[in-house]
Order: sequence, then structure tokens, then C-alpha cells
Amino acid sequence: MSHPPSSLRLIGVCLLLLTFFTLAGSPQAAAQNEESTVSVLYAGSLAAVMENGVGPAFTKATGYAFQGEAQGSLGAAQMIRDHVRTPDIFISADPMVNVSVLMGPNNGNLVKWYVPVASSQLVLAYNPRSKFAAKFEQASTGRLPWYEILETPSVHFGRGDPTIDPKGYRTLFLFRLAGKYYHRPEIPKLLGEAENPDQVFPEIVLMARVESGQFDAGIFYKHEVIAHKLPYLELPPEINQGDARFASLYAEESYTTPSGRHVQGSPILFTITIPETVRHREAAIKFATFLLSSSALLKDFGFGMVDHPIAGDTSLVPAQLRELIARNTKP
Amino acid sequence: MKRINITYIVFGLLGGLLLIDLVLPVASLMFNIEWATWGAALRHADAIKALKVSVVSSLLTVAIMALLGIPAAYVLARTELPFKRLWISLIFLPLVVPDLAGGILLLQTFGPYGIVGGSFEAQNIRLTNNLAGIVLAQLFVAAPFVIISALAGFRSVDTKLEWAAATLGDSRWEIFRRVSLPLAWPGIASGLMLGWIRALGEFGSTLIMAYNPHTLPVYMWVKFESDGLRGALPTAFCLVSMAVIAVAVSMLISRLTGYADVVPPLSKAMTSER
Repeated sequence: MSHPPSSLRLIGVCLLLLTFFTLAGSPQAAAQNEESTVSVLYAGSLAAVMENGVGPAFTKATGYAFQGEAQGSLGAAQMIRDHVRTPDIFISADPMVNVSVLMGPNNGNLVKWYVPVASSQLVLAYNPRSKFAAKFEQASTGRLPWYEILETPSVHFGRGDPTIDPKGYRTLFLFRLAGKYYHRPEIPKLLGEAENPDQVFPEIVLMARVESGQFDAGIFYKHEVIAHKLPYLELPPEINQGDARFASLYAEESYTTPSGRHVQGSPILFTITIPETVRHREAAIKFATFLLSSSALLKDFGFGMVDHPIAGDTSLVPAQLRELIARNTKP
Repeated sequence: MKRINITYIVFGLLGGLLLIDLVLPVASLMFNIEWATWGAALRHADAIKALKVSVVSSLLTVAIMALLGIPAAYVLARTELPFKRLWISLIFLPLVVPDLAGGILLLQTFGPYGIVGGSFEAQNIRLTNNLAGIVLAQLFVAAPFVIISALAGFRSVDTKLEWAAATLGDSRWEIFRRVSLPLAWPGIASGLMLGWIRALGEFGSTLIMAYNPHTLPVYMWVKFESDGLRGALPTAFCLVSMAVIAVAVSMLISRLTGYADVVPPLSKAMTSER
């Protein structure tokens, strides 16, 4: 029995633990994996598109690793402003989120420019096992008005939360626009209160509810529904907020959140920026360049293609990116 | 003697490192209180409504946990139930299932098209998006604390005392009411307290079962999403304060009743099963 070494051994183990923690957190260790990793904070509705589509494709094309995080656009922007997230890339589901939360001296000038990536549109998706699935199918071929199915009292349908989610307030606009478009003023009343507890859910929960069949249908972006392989029916461009030609029509609708934020209807646009929190600049530029030149991939996911006019301070956009945008918009 | 001291010192340092993770965040919250603005934020009608929803739902949960959990623990402690270990493991399960997963499973069962939810729906009773949904989610995560504490409590009662009561002609119910329950009560009470605070703080499965009406934790998340840290911190402070009070009361109960601590009931339940 040789006891003396045991306390030494104990100290040894502790030292080992300490070294481990120090090494794991040291810049060198981080540099090895992180220099070639881009961290992307993106609008929640893009989760499946980013994790199953764009992320892997980016890694395959460039060798850079992709580290994504889905958050509600507004919440994500607040996180950047409050310094609880320091992403290399921020993708928002509404250009206004950049402007109102991250740009300008009041917001610490954390974002100085942004570029539209793609447009999307609202669709009505349904669960294929729902007992109303056949009716939704009829509606998708125009044999039955979609809102008449939603008028059935036993149909459960869900939508995003307008207080925290652009899709939530855009759904309010959708139903108001539909009321006018179909000359059926009772359509907006299908929603009840803006915050109707029977319908309103956070993005991820809403998708889980429709996918698991606990809801018959829900209002989603087209790309979400395609990524989750749910059947859906498209809505007229006058109401689906996916067509820039109807921008002035969309702009007739507006909503004020309980915390006093005023939002106005506009075509659905996803934007990309490299915020000032960027830590892997090179990787960030690579990613932005990749996304802005991936129109085929984005089309597959149901996005609409748009021009990429730079908003904000053009001179601060990395040269590589500026050249790409100029090349794309020339013709 | 000296060697023991080194061990204690090293252990103390190691524990101290862990405290950085456990205590420092809470301490920093306490040092950054902005009484004026937080007070106003917590007096907001929505915050008060969320507080009411949280208090009512968590107290309902505690009542149900006591009513259903204590008898369950008594049966497990006193009878030779077939597959007893299996039942106990099943009761432990929610403690290790991630909240979100729990919420999804609950939804599939109690949602409008779920096995149980569907038949209620037929009677026009909803089990999600209301107080019922909140309580179901809270029960899922909190009830194990109560059952396990009660189980340990009943096991710590000397069965000789129960036999004595039986020889004096007491029925099983009388024995339970007059001997077992009073003697096991300190353990049960601290389990109920822990269960209550766990129910109050429940977020993940509540979010899925009943986003509305907002409980305090859901309200905190909504404020975090809509107003950022500024919006969420007052509610975080409120929840942490309630947890501190609950732990303090639980300690006080242990002190007054001479019952060791908050944690032993849990560990006792786990070891005595072996």
C-alpha cells in the first residue's frame, strides 16, 4: 500500500481538469475549428432550408463549416443588439427588422447595410391525414374557396404570433386583404382577436402542431412547407404578399404590437447582412457570396428571385460581394 | 490530518469553480436590478395576468400532485406491486426527458386529435391552449418530485409503528391517516414545495401544450423575443425571487421538523430501491 502519491494523484487530476478547461476555451483551440466556420443567425422559418439545404451545400462547395441558429427575426435582432449573440451573418425575414432594431446610432450601428436575398409568399398548408384533407385538395384546384373550409367550426388552423413574428402579422394582413379581394368582409373575422389563443403559436410549435396532425392547417411561408413536405395551396398574389407588383396594396395594412412597434404590409423579403459582430469575416463573405449566387437551390425551396439592391451604406459592403451584386443586376 | 486538509482544500476549490456556473449568473441578476423600470414592467397588465395564470395553474398542479401522487407513493412503498421497479423507473422518466420532447408527446396524447384529447374534443372540452394544457404540462415535469419524495418519506416511517396501530384495531386507511402520513409529512411537504417551484418554472412543454394564456416563463420568452433582454429581465427576476423563497421555505420546513434537507428524499428513493 503506497499511500503518499494519492494526494498527489488527486492534485494531478485537478490540474488535468483545469488544463482541459483552459485549453478548450483557449483561442488557439478555437481558432483551429472556428476560423473556417461561419456562424449564421437566421429567421426561424428558414430552419429546415438552412440546416438541410443551404448549410450542407455551402460546406460542400467551399469547405467552410456552417453553424446555424434559428430564432424569430425580431428576437434574433434583439439578441444581436443586446450582445447575447455575435453572429457572422444575420438573415432576417423582414427588411424593417434591420432598420428598426440594428441600424442607426440608437441601435449601436450594429448593421450598416443589408441586401435582399429572395422573396417568399404565404400559403395555406394542411396535414395530409386531416379529415378535411380532401376538401383542401379540392380548394387547391380551385373547386372550393379555401376560406370556406376554414369557416367550418371543427377545422383547427393555426398561425404565427403577430407580437413576435413577421409571419404572424403578415397573416393578419393576408386575411384582411382576402376580405377585400374576395369581397367577403367576414374573412378577417375568422381570426378573431389578433392574439387569438386558439390559433396563435410560435413558429416552431405551429409547424409541430400541423405536422403531428393536431392542427388541420396553418398559414406558413411557401419555403417552410416545401422543406417540411406538407401539402399546401397557393393564394392569389394580391393577398399572399409575395409579389412586389402589389406592394402598394400590401402597404394598406398595418399592425401595432403590444409593445408599440408599428409595422406595415410589404412584400415578403429575406435579407442578409454581415453585422458588426462578425468574428470570421472571410467566412462571412464566402457565405453571403454563396447564398446570393444560389438561385437554383433557393428556387427549389420555393423562394422567388429578386434583385439585390443594397440598402444602407454601400461603401461598407465587402468589395467581393459588391462586385457579385453589380454583375447580377447589370442586364 | 494534513492530507485530509489538502483534499478538502482541493475539493473546495473544485466546488468553487462549479459555483461560478451555479451562483454567479443569479448574483449578477441581483446586482443589476433596476427597481424603477422593472417595477413598472412587472405592474404591466400582461405581466400581472401571466403571474395570475402561473400562480393558479401551479397551485392546481400541486393540489393534483398531492391528491394523486401521495396515494401512488403509498402503494409503491407498502405493497408488493408486480413490476414495481418498472413503475418507479417510469415515474423517474419525465425527469430526464427534455421538456420540448415531453411537450410534443403530451400534445400527441392530449391535443384535439390525440388519443385522450380527441374524446374530450368530442364533448367540446379542450385540453390544450388553456389552463388544462398548462396543468398537464406542469404535472408531467413536477409530479415525479412529489411521488419520489413521498415514497422516500413513507419508507422512512418505521413499519413497526403501523403494525402497532393495526394491532390496536386501526384500518389501513386509519393507519395511513394517523401514522404514516403525519410521520412522512416533512418529506412529502418538501417534495410538494420542489414540485411547485418546478411547475412554476416549467417552460418547454408548456410552450407546446399551451402557448396561451401565457404563464410567467412563456411571457418572459415572448418579452425576450419582442423587446430583447430589457423586456425579459424583470420577469426573470420575478421567477428567480419566487424560486429563492420556495427553497427558503422548504429549508425552513426541514429545520422546524428536524427533517434533514431538501435533497435526501430523492437520493433515498433512488438508493433504497436497489
